[in-house]
Amino acid sequence: MLRNVTPALLLFAVLVLQVVLVNRLLFTWAPDLVLLTVAVLATRRGPLPGAVIGFCGGLAYDLLPPANHTLGQYALVLCFLGYAAGRAGDRLPLLVMAGCGVLAPGMVAGLGALLGAPGVTWGVLATAWPRAAVCNLVAAPLVLWAVNVLYGGHRRRAGRTELVPGYRRGAA
Amino acid sequence: MRDTRRARLTLGLLLAVALILITVDNRAGSDRVLGPVRGFAGAVFGKVERVGAAVTGPITGFVGMLRDAPSARRVIGDLRKENARLRDEVSAQRLDRARSDKLDRMLGLAGLGRYRIVPAQVVARRTVAGFEDTVEIDVGAADGIRADMTVLSDQGLVGRVIQAGPASSTVALLTDPALSAGARLEGGNELGVVNGLGEAGGGGNLIKFRLLDSTVPIGVGRRIVSFGSQRSLPYVPGVPIGVVERIDNTPGEVTRTAYARLFTDFSALDVVGVVVAAPKRDPRDSVLPPVPPPPKPRDERRPGEHRTGQRSLEEGFGLRRPAPPRDERAREDMAAGEGRGGRN
Repeated sequence: MLRNVTPALLLFAVLVLQVVLVNRLLFTWAPDLVLLTVAVLATRRGPLPGAVIGFCGGLAYDLLPPANHTLGQYALVLCFLGYAAGRAGDRLPLLVMAGCGVLAPGMVAGLGALLGAPGVTWGVLATAWPRAAVCNLVAAPLVLWAVNVLYGGHRRRAGRTELVPGYRRGAA
Repeated sequence: MRDTRRARLTLGLLLAVALILITVDNRAGSDRVLGPVRGFAGAVFGKVERVGAAVTGPITGFVGMLRDAPSARRVIGDLRKENARLRDEVSAQRLDRARSDKLDRMLGLAGLGRYRIVPAQVVARRTVAGFEDTVEIDVGAADGIRADMTVLSDQGLVGRVIQAGPASSTVALLTDPALSAGARLEGGNELGVVNGLGEAGGGGNLIKFRLLDSTVPIGVGRRIVSFGSQRSLPYVPGVPIGVVERIDNTPGEVTRTAYARLFTDFSALDVVGVVVAAPKRDPRDSVLPPVPPPPKPRDERRPGEHRTGQRSLEEGFGLRRPAPPRDERAREDMAAGEGRGGRN
């Protein structure tokens, strides 16, 4: 129970922090903390919980008030990235987060272009994607550190080395 | 991987749900099927965002102070100079009060068009390159805010309300590429359309202005005000938008394109106002700031022939702007304009 409530609360706090503080202070240089949090949670929990965390977090991100885009865009992207991050495992969480941070802005923009968002052009992508990727890369170690502190050190995924043999894995 | 089959099934299911959501939301258009869901989420998140903004307000203020520190000294110097200048002007005004009173009455007549606004504070912001540039403000339906109301700052147009929650509303900014507004060149009837540029605007404070009549000369430094929509929704007339900074010369095109610098600083939005009642009649240009600024040094950077060609064209049409204030008459004008107060 606590295992599922903690990520939900963490994501909620990060969502609010993102729009209230980070976006307003850093303007266009704001890293995507929601994406990075989803990625680090997914690496700790595995593919299935990762997908569920990504979907729920993305849906909440779509619904977060100052929103003007089509509902479900972030849910799709974060669901996929959560699954991928979970599959990649928690051996090198920083590398996985970096990959997500670089890929996600392009995926969101690509999905927007498919849906006919008027502002997505190659010129915009050429400046905005590298900038968003760099911001995410800079913020990734901080988010990883913060989540590790919150969870009390680097904990292995439940299952292999646990003393409780029948511990259910992947129940999100 | 013991549960990889189940994981894949769930992944597929979730991706399908996301795709269905996208389809439903995208196809449903303005009267969204998912409106109640958005409304509920807006109510919940809006409350938390207000609390969050209240808690983090001091941090925002402190960082803003630090960021402004290098320029503060220069600003203090400028303000001292301006103070001395204004003191001179006040004493000069005291000398010929009668003339100043006459001017004041005249300007008061011109500035009758007033907007009734509800002041609001920006509590949250989202900027995604290419699709959205929106802010959340802390007033909502309880304060009389409805969707499609004009939002302005102390300097000019900001955007419009796209969704009004119970105690907070979402505002799409003018820099959002999806937003366009009718606009009019100062001192004339030339109409055009203002479009946000988003990321392509470079820093976010440039917008595209397309003049519908390509034969009309625009001229760098001319100012743009909002044209106003039918029944003043979503835009009320006469709100200052920006100053033309660059003109694209593309012969043969149906519309003429210019790029304008916005009056409002969109990177530091804080206090805004929502227009809840439009003026009874179009205030035309009376809301524009009193005096056009002196020619910018930026223009020297582009000594292209089209710039000089532009100027000569304007002279040919006899449409040159009034010269920057050098004589006393213009100074009086400015002083009286500042005394008018409460531009919006």
